[in-house]
Amino acid sequence: MQAPLRHQLQGQTLWLSAQRSLFWEEEKALVVSDLHFGKTGHFRKAGIAVPQGVYKEDLQRLVNLLHYFGPSQLIVVGDFFHSHANVELDWFRRWRNEFSSLAITLVKGNHDILKDDWYRAAAIEVVHPTLVAKPFLFAHDRCDTAPGLYSFCGHIHPGVSIHGLGKQSLRFPCFYFGPDHCILPAFSKFTGAVSMDKGQADAIYAIVENELIKL
Amino acid sequence: MKDLKKSKGYAVVRDWLATRGYKPFAYQEEAWRHICNGESGLVNAPTGTGKTFSVFLGAVIQFINLHPKTYQSKAKNGLQLIWITPLRALAKDIGRAMEEVLFELDMRWQVGIRNGDTSTADRAKQKRQMPEVLIITPESLHLLLTQKGYADLFRTLKIIAADEWHELVGSKRGVQVELALSRIVGCRAAAPSREDVADAQPIPGGKSKKKNASSKSEDSEMATPPLGGREALSIWGISATIGNLEQAKDVLLAPLKLLKVESPQSGPSQPGHSPLGGQEGFPPEGRGEVGTIVRAKLHKQLEILSVLPDEIEKYPWAGHLGIKLAAKILPILEESRTTLIFINTRGMSELWYQTLLTIAPHLAGALALHHGSIEKELRTWVEEALHEGKLKAVVCTASLDLGVDFRPVETVIQVGSPKGVARFLQRAGRSGHSPEAISRIYFLPTHSLELIEAAALKSAIGEQFIESREPLLLCYDVLVQYLCTLACSDGFIPSVIFEEVKATNCFAELTEDEWNEMLYFITSGGNALQQYDEYKKVEVEAGVYRINSRRIAMRHRLHIGTIVSDNMMKVKFLGGGYVGVIEESFISRLEPGDAFTLAGRHVELVTIKEMTAFVKKSTKKNALIPSWMGGRLPLSASLGKVLRQTVDDAGAVRGESSNGKRQTPGKMPVELEVLQPLFDLQRRLSHLPKEAELLIEQIETRDGFHLFVYPFEGRLVHEAMAALLAYRISRITPITFSIAMNDYGFELLSDQPIPVDDSNVYELFSPANLIEDIQRSVNATEMAKRKFRDIAVIGGLIFQGFPGEYKKARHLQASAGLLFNVFNEYDAGNVLIRQAYQEVFDQQMEEARLREMLQRVQKSRIVLTYPERLTPFCFPIKVDSLRENLTSEKLADRVRRMQSELGRL
Repeated sequence: MQAPLRHQLQGQTLWLSAQRSLFWEEEKALVVSDLHFGKTGHFRKAGIAVPQGVYKEDLQRLVNLLHYFGPSQLIVVGDFFHSHANVELDWFRRWRNEFSSLAITLVKGNHDILKDDWYRAAAIEVVHPTLVAKPFLFAHDRCDTAPGLYSFCGHIHPGVSIHGLGKQSLRFPCFYFGPDHCILPAFSKFTGAVSMDKGQADAIYAIVENELIKL
Repeated sequence: MKDLKKSKGYAVVRDWLATRGYKPFAYQEEAWRHICNGESGLVNAPTGTGKTFSVFLGAVIQFINLHPKTYQSKAKNGLQLIWITPLRALAKDIGRAMEEVLFELDMRWQVGIRNGDTSTADRAKQKRQMPEVLIITPESLHLLLTQKGYADLFRTLKIIAADEWHELVGSKRGVQVELALSRIVGCRAAAPSREDVADAQPIPGGKSKKKNASSKSEDSEMATPPLGGREALSIWGISATIGNLEQAKDVLLAPLKLLKVESPQSGPSQPGHSPLGGQEGFPPEGRGEVGTIVRAKLHKQLEILSVLPDEIEKYPWAGHLGIKLAAKILPILEESRTTLIFINTRGMSELWYQTLLTIAPHLAGALALHHGSIEKELRTWVEEALHEGKLKAVVCTASLDLGVDFRPVETVIQVGSPKGVARFLQRAGRSGHSPEAISRIYFLPTHSLELIEAAALKSAIGEQFIESREPLLLCYDVLVQYLCTLACSDGFIPSVIFEEVKATNCFAELTEDEWNEMLYFITSGGNALQQYDEYKKVEVEAGVYRINSRRIAMRHRLHIGTIVSDNMMKVKFLGGGYVGVIEESFISRLEPGDAFTLAGRHVELVTIKEMTAFVKKSTKKNALIPSWMGGRLPLSASLGKVLRQTVDDAGAVRGESSNGKRQTPGKMPVELEVLQPLFDLQRRLSHLPKEAELLIEQIETRDGFHLFVYPFEGRLVHEAMAALLAYRISRITPITFSIAMNDYGFELLSDQPIPVDDSNVYELFSPANLIEDIQRSVNATEMAKRKFRDIAVIGGLIFQGFPGEYKKARHLQASAGLLFNVFNEYDAGNVLIRQAYQEVFDQQMEEARLREMLQRVQKSRIVLTYPERLTPFCFPIKVDSLRENLTSEKLADRVRRMQSELGRL
């Protein structure tokens, strides 16, 4: 695993990792977005035979990150769960019990449609539409952000295209830092990526396999 | 057997034909005789020669012979004839022609149409009482198999006809036909014909008391078996000329062996008892012995003319020249009553339509546009107007390749290479319909090099060099879909279906292991975690495989009809009114306010809502012409060979030809003469290859280092060859290539010098280790990813949503590219992923053809040149935008290098 890269912002220290997460040192918070847990199960229940390995790997990667950074809280910037409850989420619940001391805050995304009871039972604090933790603001969709605070969003599943000589072109998921907001990469590997406009960005970190490359 | 000509049915049909002033063709009579004898076979006849009647009237004669006294009164006979047609659009015309005959013969047969356009009310009606003739697409035939109790429908069936079989035989829809036939024949093998039951129906006019088998038939003649066996079920194909007609027939008729095994011995078989691999009852000589090919020996005169540019452009740019020649076709249009202008892509057809209207405004109203993305009603209108001779010309794509004839059409213009001899002939055959008329086709090149193709086509047709359509083998995706189809209706018992599936040509080599893997895939969804899984599709109850969930069954039914294509988006006017469909990838590049052309209309994008793009009329001048993917057809092997000879001949003017048949300048085809300036430039800058030479050019430009190779083998083989060569070079040094190709050659482009020279070039083109290297190069490119799109749709991994429910279905959608990556990483052994690689290997790589080519290269002289600038040969490849990548560099290194290079610019 490549060591996380440091990114200074608003006097705060952020550590970006190629495992699609961001660690906010001052608050000891691990920030992730668009995990879409239960998505493979949702497909499979409908008769679409997507391999579950991708979910298993997502869960395992989250465990590794928690061990690595040892955060006191996990902030999920929306789309924690893909759809209705299914047995794959039971698996998450068992996983949750092993990290019972970890505080989890979910900024509700458009996919988060589980019942309030379910989140309560899983000890997940749900906020909507934004979470303010100065100097930052967290919101699933960029539309919900307010000016004044630097905001972190998800939802888009950002990607970046790189072009080279000889008509070469590649596309990767990325961290996108704009002047007043950052868009986090989708944590789930069962997601695509939408190309971002590089011109508007202050910094872009492409996730190239297990490495982050600053563009 | 009684003589056909003495039978009542024959007399009735002959007399009817006579009232219209026709006489049956010899080949039609031959087909009728075989049909009445209960035999199967294939009719080989071009369009416009009564091929429909060769089978349909056979069915009518057979029925009359079985019911000589009552044929005009007998109604509700149950299904007699299934007519499979590849195109929905054809069904209506064929149905109308059949109804006309039945009406004039005063018969009570009904003709039904079953396809995606059939209303639910009509479906329900058909369910209550099947028409005697059912015209159906392969997809709808599978949908029929999702109905409970479908087996009953086939009890009275006499003939299954597969129309335009040459179009289906090399495709997955052909595999669908094979599977459906195996089921129908299997049902019949398990339960005998219901003829006795059907005969016992009350006299027409009475109430339809079905399945009351007590009274005896009123046809006393039935005591002596008339022409036409009562148990017989025959299969008939109708096909245009292709190189492998015999094989095409064998593929279609293969399921009949199920019938022949069962009927002589034990009668009705019990599920699961069929002997394994039983081929008894099948002629020992082999499959070629089953069924007959009936050939229409009608020779039609064909005239091929090229539209020549006044001045040859030495740097051919694809698509660019064609439009410049538009004015040259106006005199051709004037001379003919009606002209069809075939364009290879929908995008170009839009452009041609616009251009013709601009340069010849008087054609407005008499010129129409016809392609697959145009609204159905408009297409129907164009077809009707064509029949009635109201149109002077129609700009069209392959959408008008098939189907009933348009008599007013006198001339055909082919714009751009037709890429194959068979297709060219088929299109030529759309003109000149009266028996003595000459079919006239003009070839209009879209770039100057295509003129070589015109010369090659003429010579190929002269030598009767016609391509084959190779049947597909082991299409697991179609099998997965088919098994779910059967699970939707009555469920299936694996041992029974295994035998039937094995009887098809496609799955003859299916092993029991593979079969079990299929069953495992549809019941447990492939490799899953042991717990936390709720996969649900096909369930097993007492040995019967069923889909119990109504929702999953409904989704599957919707799925069968899904046409495999790029995500298509509907285009509608804001105020209502449907314009057509367009690829999502095109629309997604547009901003609101951008103008584009569709169905000959200038429109401007207003907004996109769900799967619909809303537009309004536009007055903007610079409208974009949409590009549709998939419009490119590869050159066939036959044409490739002639092409190499033709280029060689082109050298003949200078007395350089190597193929012995030295041409005197006067005899040189006019196309090649016109091209001399281009050949001269090619010769001066580089080299003009002879038949026994392979030309390789290495050129450095601002884009990087190019390696051009010209095997003249067609796009598909070039793609494979390029991937193979790129892979072999990348073993020498870490390097990344972008690959492009056309039908003449291919290009490897890199940002670093390409290590190919006379010391290693023969080795790089060696046939040694071919299979291993192909496999590795397939893995190194994204070819399999592209193949996976179709497979994922057919195999049920991509669900496109319920009609009008686009939003709701979104949480169940994932793109084919994403699915491919996920499967590749987490379930690489999955049958559908394996199939994607196998398809590239079998179809794309065409290993046999590649090997043949490499062996040829070994025997020929490789000519390496280092031109200072781009040559006429390489230019069209260089400007091609369809590219493939192959790399042996580490991804992160590659990104860093790309960045640093850009920094230097």
